[in-house]
Amino acid sequence: MDKSSTLLVHYDKGTPAVAKEIKEALEGNDVEAKVDAMKKAVMLLLNGETIPQLFITIIRYVLPSEDHTIQKLLLLYLELIEKTDSKGKVLPEMILICQNLRNNLMHPNEYIRGVTLRFLCRLKETEIVEPLTPSVLQNLEHRHPFVRRNAILAVMSIYKLPNGEQLFVDAPEMIEKALSTEQDPSAKRNAFLMLFTCAEERAVYYLLSNVDKVSDWNESLQMVVLELIRSVCKTKPAEKGKYIKIIISLLSATSSAVIYECAGTLVSLSSAPTAIRAAANTYCQLLLSQSDNNVKLILLDRLSELKSSHRDIMVELIIDVLRVLSSPNLDIRRKTLDIALDLITHHNINEVVQMLKKEVVKTQSGELEKNGEYRQMLIQAIHACAVKFPEVASTVVHLLMDFLGDSNVASALDVISFVREIIETNPKLRVSIITRLLDTFYQIRAGKVCPCALWIIGEYCLSLSEVENGISTIKQCLGELPFYSVSEESAPTETSKKIQPTSSAMVSSRKPVILADGTYATQSAASETTFSTPTVVQGALTSGNLRALLLTGDFFLGAVVACTLTKLVLRLEEVQSSKTEVNKTVTQALLIMVSMLQLGQSPASPHPIDNDSYERIVLCIKLLCHRNDEMKKIWLESCRQSFVKMISEKQLREMEELKAKTQTTHAQPDDLIDFFHLKSRKGMSQLELEDQVQDDLKRATGEFTKDENDANKLNRILQLTGFSDPVYAEAYVTVHHYDIALEVTVINRTKETLQNLCLELATMGDLKLVERPQNYSLAPATSMQIKANIKVSSTETGVIFGNIVYETSNVMERNVVVLNDIHIDIMDYISPAVCSDVAFRTMWAEFEWENKVAVNTKIENEREFLDHIIKSTNMKCLTGPSELEGECGFLAANLYAKSVFGEDALVNVSIEKQTDGALSGYIRIRSKTQGIALSLGDKITLKQKGSS
Amino acid sequence: MVVLAASIVSKSGKVLVSRQYVDMSRIRIEGLLAAFPKLVGMGKQHTYIETDNVRYVYQPIEALFLLLVTTKQSNILEDLDTLRMLSKLVPEYSMSLDEDGIGRAAFELIFAFDEVISLGHKESVTVAQVKQYCEMESHEEKLHKLVMQSKINDTKDVMKRKANEIDKSKIEKTRGEKGGFSSMSSMGSRLDSSFSDMSISHGSGGGFGSGPSFGMLSDVEPINTKAKDRSRSSVTAAPKSSGMKLGKSGKNQLMESLKAEGEDIIEDVKPTGQTRAAVAAPTDPFTLTVEEKLNVALRRDGGISSFDMQGTLSLQILNQEDGFVQVQIETGGNPDILFKTHPNINRELFNSESILGLKRPDQPFPTGQGGDGVGLLRWRMQRADESMVPLTINCWPSVSGNETYVSIEYEASSMFDLTNVIISVPLPALRDAPIVKQCDGDWRYDSRNSVVEWSILLIDNSNRSGSMEFVVPPVDSSVFFPISVQFAATTTYSGLKVNGMIPLRGGGGATPRFVQRTQLITQNYQVV
Repeated sequence: MDKSSTLLVHYDKGTPAVAKEIKEALEGNDVEAKVDAMKKAVMLLLNGETIPQLFITIIRYVLPSEDHTIQKLLLLYLELIEKTDSKGKVLPEMILICQNLRNNLMHPNEYIRGVTLRFLCRLKETEIVEPLTPSVLQNLEHRHPFVRRNAILAVMSIYKLPNGEQLFVDAPEMIEKALSTEQDPSAKRNAFLMLFTCAEERAVYYLLSNVDKVSDWNESLQMVVLELIRSVCKTKPAEKGKYIKIIISLLSATSSAVIYECAGTLVSLSSAPTAIRAAANTYCQLLLSQSDNNVKLILLDRLSELKSSHRDIMVELIIDVLRVLSSPNLDIRRKTLDIALDLITHHNINEVVQMLKKEVVKTQSGELEKNGEYRQMLIQAIHACAVKFPEVASTVVHLLMDFLGDSNVASALDVISFVREIIETNPKLRVSIITRLLDTFYQIRAGKVCPCALWIIGEYCLSLSEVENGISTIKQCLGELPFYSVSEESAPTETSKKIQPTSSAMVSSRKPVILADGTYATQSAASETTFSTPTVVQGALTSGNLRALLLTGDFFLGAVVACTLTKLVLRLEEVQSSKTEVNKTVTQALLIMVSMLQLGQSPASPHPIDNDSYERIVLCIKLLCHRNDEMKKIWLESCRQSFVKMISEKQLREMEELKAKTQTTHAQPDDLIDFFHLKSRKGMSQLELEDQVQDDLKRATGEFTKDENDANKLNRILQLTGFSDPVYAEAYVTVHHYDIALEVTVINRTKETLQNLCLELATMGDLKLVERPQNYSLAPATSMQIKANIKVSSTETGVIFGNIVYETSNVMERNVVVLNDIHIDIMDYISPAVCSDVAFRTMWAEFEWENKVAVNTKIENEREFLDHIIKSTNMKCLTGPSELEGECGFLAANLYAKSVFGEDALVNVSIEKQTDGALSGYIRIRSKTQGIALSLGDKITLKQKGSS
Repeated sequence: MVVLAASIVSKSGKVLVSRQYVDMSRIRIEGLLAAFPKLVGMGKQHTYIETDNVRYVYQPIEALFLLLVTTKQSNILEDLDTLRMLSKLVPEYSMSLDEDGIGRAAFELIFAFDEVISLGHKESVTVAQVKQYCEMESHEEKLHKLVMQSKINDTKDVMKRKANEIDKSKIEKTRGEKGGFSSMSSMGSRLDSSFSDMSISHGSGGGFGSGPSFGMLSDVEPINTKAKDRSRSSVTAAPKSSGMKLGKSGKNQLMESLKAEGEDIIEDVKPTGQTRAAVAAPTDPFTLTVEEKLNVALRRDGGISSFDMQGTLSLQILNQEDGFVQVQIETGGNPDILFKTHPNINRELFNSESILGLKRPDQPFPTGQGGDGVGLLRWRMQRADESMVPLTINCWPSVSGNETYVSIEYEASSMFDLTNVIISVPLPALRDAPIVKQCDGDWRYDSRNSVVEWSILLIDNSNRSGSMEFVVPPVDSSVFFPISVQFAATTTYSGLKVNGMIPLRGGGGATPRFVQRTQLITQNYQVV
């Protein structure tokens, strides 16, 4: 492993400190200047400028200083300085500091002793530590706890060094003795920690002989006890029984940190239902008692872990979990709902829904900022409940329909799609829902919700009264015809003046968006405004909501109204016996449609009707004029059928997902069988935690590297120079998370010794070299390995270039061999990720950088091309497979990936098959930073050509 | 529970200060800190981020982030505590909470962070404590400096005196005395040095010889105390568990149900490692204990200030059916000792035949294992002259120059052989152990209580007297008193002996087996 770093301080390169100045200040007598100089020396050291002559100055002039700050800085300096030579042997001058350290350890000032002991904790060189051990031991009995506590830690660190046991043969015994008499809680903790890490059986002995007092111990000591228990149980699972009692007694400790740790330990040690229940209960209590959001979120994480492994127990606690909803934080609420939704069963569904309903009602009363979003979450949750357990739908659907008129468009949309699904899947509720919908229709204010509601009315009004009621409701909402009168026309100049500038602005702000089905369309700004800001109709109760919306120019709604009316009329024809009534309704419907067309073409409308809506309305008119059975069948039955198909497909998909999830939890064929009557094996199950904590630390410090395939390694070798160059170099590039390690093999191909050979690297992009290059000398025909680390700070294609410089003995000039560039691939940094449709669209709208790549490929199949792009960009396709099915000559899909630095990369592919069989279209890449958009674009341009 | 690093990062992502608490490479920590600003989202209401490998817990301070990098298993509650602590410290040490301010105070912050986290573990400290630790104002250092100063002054005085003496001697020399005096003295010093060499080698040999005995002594004691502790703890544990049943039934239920579910729970956990045989339970049917306790105060200049000896004879009977017995004893005939019998004992029988039996022969002696058994007889002795005292201590502190020489000697009466003698001499509060010049037996310095303990394993006819001498810095001689002494002996003042047991019922006349223990111990034996 590389040399470990213990501290970082920002160093401003703008004001370079000169070694000479530092030296002078260090030699002077001014304490202030000395402190400053020491600080500068440490900073220089941190920046890799080891000024060797400074060390002697420091030994001569700084070591004897009496000032405390200087002494502390000196310790920092010693901590950082290279203490060994290249072969790992301790430098001879280090012996000089030993005497000083020993004096410090015997210093009358207890704090000097303490910090020196602390410094010893970080020392790795046995040779330096060795002469100091007697002094360290003497400090174990110092009067001041500050010294004792650091002395214990120093003993521990030294004992852990290689050969440390030989330096302190009886360290555990001494610490054990110290532990029995120690009063200071911190020193006691450290002593116990020392026993735990160095002589576990002694720690266990101490613990077991003080079992009764554990609950009175200090918080920090209790934490170590729990750690000890975990570690002991890992190595000797048979002795688990001894400790469960201790854990349970600690569950009632006063410190919440201990309680939390306890619950975690309990879960890791036992899978017995009671233990899990106790742990889950503890988590729930902490959830309610702790006010910090971070704590709550992490507790919820723990609970959801428990949920995945012990669902049956968590089910009992669902109501406790739901209490957390009282927290105002949305993230917490979302997590809570996620957990709760997985725990719903037949037994608790009613309670849960009751609780959710209560919460929904609460959001109506309080005027909190995030209420709308929260309500939306609740509605989605209720929706999910109702899908799982259709019997509860009846109890909630009416309550939810109150929210159709909600000013929050998103939640109203959720409600209406919920209603649409329920009315299809739950035929018993149809009648009541329809009546209710017709009653509340006039309240619907949002232009997005209206079409859906109209569609429901059109599809599900079956009986005569319902149909009639439906038609009259629509008529009512449209208000008096015509939509504009001559009196309104009398002042057209004024209105048009008012509207003109805005509409022109709107036209200019037209921009492409991605539709929900992944197609890339141009959307008019007007309808976009209805999307983003709900058009809440002004003073409109008298005039009806549909009318108001139409007057703002929402002609898509007009088309929907026309279709709905057509459907209703066609159905009326079936259920109404009286021909005259039907004819009367038909004429009224026709009148409405015609006036809508008129409105669309009149100057009173903010912008003229679009062709799509126009055609659709005209189609309806034609249909009503020439009604035939075939058309009737299409309108009344096929439409519904396709909806049913959509729903069933959605359910099927959900089922499949569920199945995939449960598949993994199936028992293995060789699993033991639990007999109810016999002693359960649950308690005896192996500890799952195993080395989790250790691994965790290793992963965090970056020590954890997977064994990589050597063959794979060979594939990534890059040749840097030519075979005929005097120096041959090749590099093996490993990309870790945040850094790139280059292992360069350099071979001397000449017959002379190359001196001062140096690998100079430079970078382009967001890359940074970590170390300065070093000089080597290379004997004839030998090779050596040079390692270089490069830090990466953002996802971007980077280039590393450089050269090898060397001198030969007879020619006194430097030779340079220029190296091949090393390109760092962006693909190493992005990984496929999933995000919701809505999130994708908002990000798409927000991100500033777009790179548009024209499709230019030899591939002729759309799907094949998409798969190729997905494979070569390492992204995830968000568009579902069912939506990509079929051969229509068009394909649109969204891809998404996330970088290790947390940046998002969005890609949209829109392609069309030309008549000649070639594919055309665009791939658009959007991201927050320029780097990703550019590099990903380059990558795609490069790769799209073919299946190379 | 492990904090990897505590850092301060500016909002733009510049690392201002970072202190790592576990071994990690520079590139790793720089990478982690560089990734952090990109992961911080806006508008979140929580302040932690989890990545695949680590967790960041942070707190915005004006234009900066104070953050802890921890493992994902780390205890969030504790980490938040630590973070809060650090956030209180930052404004204490940095004048302005911006990049420049932090940059200026970087090292002070590192020192302060070190006080809060040690090796990744949180220390329970307060802001005031941290400030105190960082200021490093030490009373002891001041004292030390004063002492040093006074020493310097002393030495200067001595120097002056010496200079004067030298001057004088020079004057005397000039008066014309000559001779081989100087060469003589040099020879003498050489002789001295060779002698001291020899004595050293001899001393070390002796030390080696006495090694094992010392080892035994130190080993024996802890065993006893540990065994006692353990037996006590196990005795107290038993009733406690029943108390739990009543009081905290909830917890017990938890345990019960855990057991039912197959958890092996061992409720009365006893330490298994390092088990040693406990005190053997009495197996003999009768145990008779003769015990004399001494409460003595000796004056430091000789003579007895007070003397009190209390003796008891107690009987312990193992089985109920053996209770019908009488005890035949023999007293040493010391006229100063008066015996008193238990009220239930037949006094006449004792006075006439020295037999202890109950007044009502149809009743048995009470039985049972607990305690010391039944007291049968008590006696006292309060009058004594100096020859009766088993051990006299003579302590002579004498101040000479900058040092106090303390010589102690003991003299034991020939009446007793004493074992496990420990003479504890209180000392002034010292940093270092006193310099012991000479010692019969072993000595130990207990710095916590500042007491020097002189221990002699056995005093018998071979060493009826012994001495010890040590040197300490100058102090008042009253510091060394009271000296307290502990010892034990197997002979008693009363010389009381049990000659036999007389069974009253059945048994065929054979004398039952019995065990007799006799000891003289010190309860409070001091030289004041």
